Amino acid sequence: MKNKIKVFRAMNDLTQEDLAQAIGVTRQTILAIEKGKYVPSLDLAFRISRRFRVNIEEVFQYDEAAPTIDID
Amino acid sequence: MKKNAFFLIGGCIALALLAIFWYSVEVHVRFLAEISFIIAIGIIYLLRKKVTDFTEDERIAKISEQAALRTFQVSWVVFCALSIGAVMQILYVPTFTKADFEEFHPREILGPRMMGYFQLGLLCLMIFLYVGFRIYYARKYGDWETDEE
Repeated sequence: MKNKIKVFRAMNDLTQEDLAQAIGVTRQTILAIEKGKYVPSLDLAFRISRRFRVNIEEVFQYDEAAPTIDID
Repeated sequence: MKKNAFFLIGGCIALALLAIFWYSVEVHVRFLAEISFIIAIGIIYLLRKKVTDFTEDERIAKISEQAALRTFQVSWVVFCALSIGAVMQILYVPTFTKADFEEFHPREILGPRMMGYFQLGLLCLMIFLYVGFRIYYARKYGDWETDEE
């Protein structure tokens, strides 16, 4: 799953800490999502996109080449 | 309640538990240690719910969940393997084995002391496994990632 959180943060002049506080997660979680280490739940993805006032597809894009289902 | 106050109270409870354990060993009353442990865990659980500045989001919950699941998966295999061995000793059938097994006394091997060591070993294994898996999944889900901010 690719995302443009960093771009939207820059556009909205938000730090990771600001965004984390706004949606009720830790800064480390925002960092992990931005770096593709963690794929957020639908609920969290919607909260992030709502914060930027855009549709979820604009922030998150499904990456066909890298399936995110991981049983490890 | 603030996070620091919670950790402070947790430390005091741990010290009190240590003293109670020591006393229960001295007077040889094991129920004292068992009941105090259960009460301490209950108090910590209730206090934990009152902490207001703890942020536990879905990523942290997932790390805990995955670590617990893997610990359980490994633990039950180890526990079953050891239990099968213990049951084989209890169900000792002389006709299946050689004659020198007449000297063999399975009850001595599986006495309360050995069972205590066995349980202690399993407990230590579970703790080490959980910590190990937690570190692994924390690293996997970006707990130690650094950024340019």
